[in-house]
Order: sequence, then C-alpha cells, then structure tokens
Amino acid sequence: MSRRPALAPLATALRTPRSARAGGLAVLAAAAWLLPYQLNVYWISVADVAILFALLAVGMGLVMGIAGQVNLAQIAFYGVGAYTTAILTTRDGYGFWTAAVLAMIATALTGIVVGTPALRVQSHYLGIVTLGLAIAFIDWITNAPVTNGDSGISGIPAPPLFGIDLSSQYLYYYLELIVLAGGLAFGLFVVHTPLGRRMRAMRDDPLAAGAAGTGIRQLRMIAFVLASVYGGAAGVLYAGMIGYIAPETFSIADMFLLLAMVIIGGRRSLAGCVIGAVALTIVQQELINLAAYAQLGYGLVVVLVVVFAPAGLVGIPGRLAARYRRWRGHTGTSAVLEPFQPLPAAAPAGTPGETLLEVSHLARRFRGLTALDDVSLTVRAGEILGIVGPNGSGKTTLFNVISGFYRPHGGSIALSGRPISGARPSQVSRLGVARTFQHLRLFGNLTVADNMLVSLDRTRTWWSWRYLCHPAGVWRYDRRLKRRAAELLAGFGLAQFAGALPGTLPYGIQRRLELARAIASSPRLLLLDEPAAGLNGEERSQLAAIVRSIRDSGVTVVLIEHNMGLVMSLCERVIVLDSGSVIAEGPPDRVSRDPAVLEAYLGKSAAPDTAAPDTRASEASQ
Amino acid sequence: MQSFFQTLISGLSFGAVYALVALGFSLVYRTMGLVNFAHGAVLMIGAYVASTFYLSARLPFAVAVPTAMAVTAAIGLVIERVLRPLENKDFDLMLIGTIGAGTVLEAAAILTWSSSGRGVSSPVQTAPFDVGGVRIPGYNVLVIAVTTLAMAALTLFLQRTKQGAAMQAVAMDHEAATAVGIHVGRSNAISFAIGAALAALAGSLVGPMLYVSPTMGDSLGIAGFAAAILGGFGSVPGAIAGGLGIGVIGAFAAQQFQGYSDLVTFVVFTVLVMIRPTGIFGERTVNRA
Repeated sequence: MSRRPALAPLATALRTPRSARAGGLAVLAAAAWLLPYQLNVYWISVADVAILFALLAVGMGLVMGIAGQVNLAQIAFYGVGAYTTAILTTRDGYGFWTAAVLAMIATALTGIVVGTPALRVQSHYLGIVTLGLAIAFIDWITNAPVTNGDSGISGIPAPPLFGIDLSSQYLYYYLELIVLAGGLAFGLFVVHTPLGRRMRAMRDDPLAAGAAGTGIRQLRMIAFVLASVYGGAAGVLYAGMIGYIAPETFSIADMFLLLAMVIIGGRRSLAGCVIGAVALTIVQQELINLAAYAQLGYGLVVVLVVVFAPAGLVGIPGRLAARYRRWRGHTGTSAVLEPFQPLPAAAPAGTPGETLLEVSHLARRFRGLTALDDVSLTVRAGEILGIVGPNGSGKTTLFNVISGFYRPHGGSIALSGRPISGARPSQVSRLGVARTFQHLRLFGNLTVADNMLVSLDRTRTWWSWRYLCHPAGVWRYDRRLKRRAAELLAGFGLAQFAGALPGTLPYGIQRRLELARAIASSPRLLLLDEPAAGLNGEERSQLAAIVRSIRDSGVTVVLIEHNMGLVMSLCERVIVLDSGSVIAEGPPDRVSRDPAVLEAYLGKSAAPDTAAPDTRASEASQ
Repeated sequence: MQSFFQTLISGLSFGAVYALVALGFSLVYRTMGLVNFAHGAVLMIGAYVASTFYLSARLPFAVAVPTAMAVTAAIGLVIERVLRPLENKDFDLMLIGTIGAGTVLEAAAILTWSSSGRGVSSPVQTAPFDVGGVRIPGYNVLVIAVTTLAMAALTLFLQRTKQGAAMQAVAMDHEAATAVGIHVGRSNAISFAIGAALAALAGSLVGPMLYVSPTMGDSLGIAGFAAAILGGFGSVPGAIAGGLGIGVIGAFAAQQFQGYSDLVTFVVFTVLVMIRPTGIFGERTVNRA
C-alpha cells in the first residue's frame, strides 16, 4: 500500500492550527503582491479579469452557497455596475468615483428588484426567474439607445487615484487586488458572524430558521443585495479597466461560466469561489485557441466535478482526509453525552396560574379537510400542559398555527393578552415562543454550536446595518453569543459535540440538541412536538427531568405526546383533540377515563363504561 | 383584427414547439426530480440529425424525424446514466451538472457540423391556407398537428400502459414504487429517453422555422423551461398550456415591442410566476413541519 505515506502528511496538514493558517495567508498575500513582476502584458490582463470573476464569484457564493438562494442574474449585476459607470462618465460627465458610487447604488437597487421573486418562489423556480430577468437585462442593453446597443460605449476614463496611472494594467491589478481582499474579508466576516450564520441556517431549513427567530424575507433580500454589491463592484472595476463595454461581455454563457466557477471551486466556501474563478479563467485562456475542444473539456470537467466532488475543489482535501481516517480504522468521535445540569430555577413570567396563551375558536382548513375546528384552550403560566389525541387529530397543526407557519382561517391566538394570530414565525419567536419538531429539524450543515448560536441571536434582521457602521460591535456581540452557547451546551451535556455536525450524532443526542436550541431562544412558552418519539426508556426519563427543569426555570411547556406514561408523569393538565376539536380537558388520570376519549382512541364498541387501563390507550395510539 | 390573428397563429406554432420542450422538462422532472438543463442541447442535436438525414441523405421528412428521435433517445440514455448520482439532489448541482452535459453536446455538434448553422427548407411547399384573410402557412398546421398527436400518444402511454403507470408511480413516490417491485432505474431511463425523443421532435420541427445552429438550443431550452414552470412544473396539461402561453406572449411582445420582446416576455413571466408560483396546473404544496 503506497497510499499510506502519501496521505499521512496531508491528513496532518489539514488539522491546521490558527498560527499556521495566518502564516499561509501571509505567504498567499505576498505571492499575490509579487505576481505582476512575473507576468507579461497578456497575462496581467488575464489576472485582472480573473480578479473580477473572483469578486463576482464571492457574491454568488454568498447568495447561493451561504444563503441558498439560486441567483442566475449575477451577470446582470455586473452589467448594471459597468453600464451605469460608463453612462455617467461618458454621457453625463461625472467623475469616475462619483459614477462608481452611484453605480453601486443602482446595482443594489437592481439586487432588490431581482431578489423580490425570492419572497414567493425558491429553487428551480427562482432559477428560471432570475435567469429570465438576466435575459431581459441583456435584451435591454443590446437594444436601448442609452447603452448604444450592440456597438457599446467607449471612452470610459480610467479612475484617477492620487496621480497613480491606473490605465496601466499592472497598477490596476493592485487596485483590484485590494478591492477583492476587502470584499473577501467582509464576506468571510459576514459568513462567520450572526448574519451569515442565519443565512446558512435559512439555507439548511427555512422553516426551522423562522421558528428560531430569523426573518426569512428580509434575509433573502439582504442576500441578493450583498450579491449585487459584489457584482456591481466588479462591473465598476471592469468599466474602469477596459474603458469600453459592449453587450457581449454580459452573456448568459458567461453567467453559466461564473456558475461553474462557483460550483467547481466549492459554493459553500468563499475561498473556494475565488479558487474556482481563478482556475477556470486561467484554463479558459490556456485553451482559447482550441475553442471547440476546450468547450468539450470544460463541459466534461464540470460534469465530473459535480458527480464526483459535489463540494467542489475545496471539499476534496476533507474527503481524502476522511477516507484516510476510515482506512486507518478511526471510528468517528469518542465524545460522550454528559448529564444534564438543571437550569437555574426562576419564577415564570407573570404570576403563576395567569393565562399565558389564549387560543379561541381557532379554525384551519386544508382544502376540504378541516384540521382545526373551533379549538379553544388556555395555557397557564408555569404549567406543563399535555396535548394528546389520535393521529390526524390536529395537534401538530395547532402548533403550526400558534408558531405562525399556517395562518388561521378563523379565531384568534393571544400571548399574554397580545394577539399573535397571523404573525410570522420569526415574530412569534421574538415574542417568546419556541418549539421543537415532530421530525427533527436541525440545521444539517451547521455545527452543534452554530445551531445554538442561531437560536441565541435575538436581534432583528435590520440589526445587520451594524455590519456597515459598527463591525467591531458585531464582533463583540458574536463573542458574547459564543460564550453563552458554550454555557448552554455544557448545561445540556452537549459540550463535547460542539464542533460536530448534527447528522453525525446519535438520534437521542439530536433530540436533546433540538431541545437545547429551543431553550437558547429564552422562550416564555415552549411547544414540544412529540419530544420522546424514537427515544429509549433511559432517554425518556432524562427527557422528563429536563422538561421539569425547564418548567422550574420559568418556562411554560406545552407538550404533544403519544407516550401516555410520560404525559401522566409530566403534565398537570391534559387536553384531548380529536378530528380537530377539543373533546376533553382535565387532569391526566381523569381524562384517561373519559368515555369520549376512549371512543376516540379505540372506537365506539371498545369504549366500555368501565375504565380502560392507560397502557392500552397508549398502545393504540402508537 | 387580422394582424391579431396572424400574430396569434405564429405564437401558437412556436408555442406548440415550446410545449414539446416543456413536456420533456416536466416528464424528466416528475419521474426523477432532475431539472435537465441539457435538454436544449439535446434538442439541437435532434435538429442537426434530422436536418442531416433530410438534407444530405435526402430521406423524407417523415423518416428523418423518427430517426433523429431514436438517435437522441440513445444519447438521453447515456446522459441519464452519467447524471444518475444527481437525481433528487439539490438544485445547484443539477443545474450546473446538466449545463455541463449540454456544453459537451454543443462542443460535439461544433466538431461534427462546424459552428456555422444551416437553413432547412420547409417540407411543406403548399401555398398558405387563407382563413378569413389570415394566412396560415401549411408548415405551421403540420407543426401544431404533429405536436397534438405526440401529446395524445404520450398521455395514452402514461395512462393506459403498464410501463406508463409504473412511471406515474415512480413520479409520486420512488421509494414506494421500489417497494412494490417497480424497477425505478429502468423507469427513469425510459422517461429520460422519451424526454430526449420529444426534444428531437421539437428540434426537427423548429428547424425549418428557425435556423439550425449549435447554440439554437440555449434560447429554446430556456423558453421551454419557462413554459414548464408557467404551466405547472411536472404537469402534462401544464406543459401544453405553458408552452402555448410563452409562445403567444413572445409573438405579441415581438409585434408590439420589436427588439425588446425578450425583455417583455420575461418580465411578464416573472410577474405571472410571482402571482401564481405553482403555475396554471401546479399542485399547491403545503410545508409540513
């Protein structure tokens, strides 16, 4: 086996400490700074183009790889930046930098327009809509008098900069390099702090992100505006570099080339996007004289990378390392689940026994099916309320309406007297309602710690203005969140899994993480949807202890559960739903003897007037 | 009024071609969850093969077209095999993976037939029909008739044959289909081959209306995909309605706004999709938490 010695140093190199990474960065920066001395006039112009594509690719990486929004209009953002600069400098006589600022504003506005469909549609629908808008833009620049149609606009001045002659391709390289470095640094800062974390959470699971307090709509718009600003900056720089622009630079073929750069490099890593852009630009230039064969090779490479390395070039070392570890016989992590530390006790918000949640006459239909029919119930502060009922009785729908996923078709919901029916999930979350899901909804590509951090971040989306005006404040806030996340993870016994991806953990641990994530949002009311589903006996008793501790820390709990033993031991009060209506309410032992309840679970003939054992009811519902 | 109907006829003829393209997109999407952006390139290959047999080999049009359909169906089987790992995966990867496959086909076309295009003479040489002052070219009637026949044949196949029923089952739930003993891989391969054959049919029909060139599939593919989305992605009647819709919008946009027809078409399309994201015949889906 000759693979062993070859891969061993690679695997160690992948575990790079922070200092080594900083060293690598310094070497890279020096290399980029010295590069022009090695290049002739032709290759320096290739380098200049490569940097522009890198800037475009970083914008694409942010919107597609990080925020999960398909954007096939990046080339139009590039075009808007370039054309606005060109028109304002040549026709209206603005100075280059004034025009550049106005061009960036125009591009950001275009970003808002192109991003608007993302509020309604996603995935391939969003893909064709953004592509269609890009085609519309290209159609406009090829025909409009103001863009001078096919002939394009020439005579764009090079940007003046303290007497530095930026008409030189060599000096222009440094201007571009500085912009790219700044853009990349800002992008990485966004990705690793609350805004980007929310975007990644939204990409993995928009529903769960909304329930964790993320304003999905605003976030999608921000993602498109970010992408458009990177595209606009590249467009401004292109106009200043070339001095002449024409429609053929902004073609759909270039859009797909850009997309290939992002995917081949690695869309979820901004560094990967830069690598992809630089690599494909060079390959394209090398093969420029073999057009058809180059195209054939490029297409084959794209297919092969997508099929065999879906995470892109940056994902390859990690996969090799994982394969090496598997080959050496390392079996995953040796981390263990630690015992739960009871949360500090606290009185519930408001006086105990006071009504916290009031649901009155709630109705929700799905086409012909009435899922909730005139449901009224109250949740008192400080209690653990159980909601039981046969499958399809409307329990989860009730949670979905309360947490804002579905709009009610009638009735109202009030939290501490404040109406919340029709509010968005993020608003409900910010008012202090957290939930877990029947089928786990963890953010699969975020680490355990990041899952917690998303939920800990209680700011509104517009707080993100601070990224522009007060980045140091953002950074300090992020540090505070991370300390709090570490405390909470330790309290839930999950500290050793902080760096793991949820999907790699056993099911019971994932369940506990989802509970911890819900608590991280400091709720007043916690909705648990079948928290014991799939847990073994020991995990169930741990769960009971955790839920009691959560209640004792001042959080009111509503629990949907089929496991009657758990309901009996935890809940002071139980509400029974059947076919969308409340059929019984009261202490668990009395409800379990209620003839209407027995009929709902076991059918009419099986509902004797004598009490059926509780266990039978619970078995029937499994 | 006369010019209105004239524009409508031309819109419907192109719409019929878009409907065929949209049907290929929808068929492949609903059976294997794959959005196939190589579809436009397959169409272009079909157009080249059909025109080669028709012009160079001097075969009758009615023979050249089925031959082209068979050739592209075979190509479709190869593409399906290569891209199988992407089926039911996330959209970004499918998008660029199938675009890559399309690029390969385009390059192959340039190497085989050179990058300059070719015109195809119309196989129908009769004088246009005159209906109340509206002139309907015979070829347009042929296009609409052939499209209608193809649609009817496909619907019968899906609804009346065992293989068709199996494909419907795979479309609804491929895991459940496996459980009842349907060979999902074979079913996917067949639907991909049918989709490719439909693309070839669209390509050979559109050849005499446009110009056959290696890049002809780009805009036709995008229009066909937009048509599929507009009608309701994955739906057969939706593909027809969407195709005719895009064709008619495009024809009127071209008549009213000349050069700006793409701009108008896609802005209208965007607005329509935002008003009704699931398309005309699309199912409303509910997010389940």
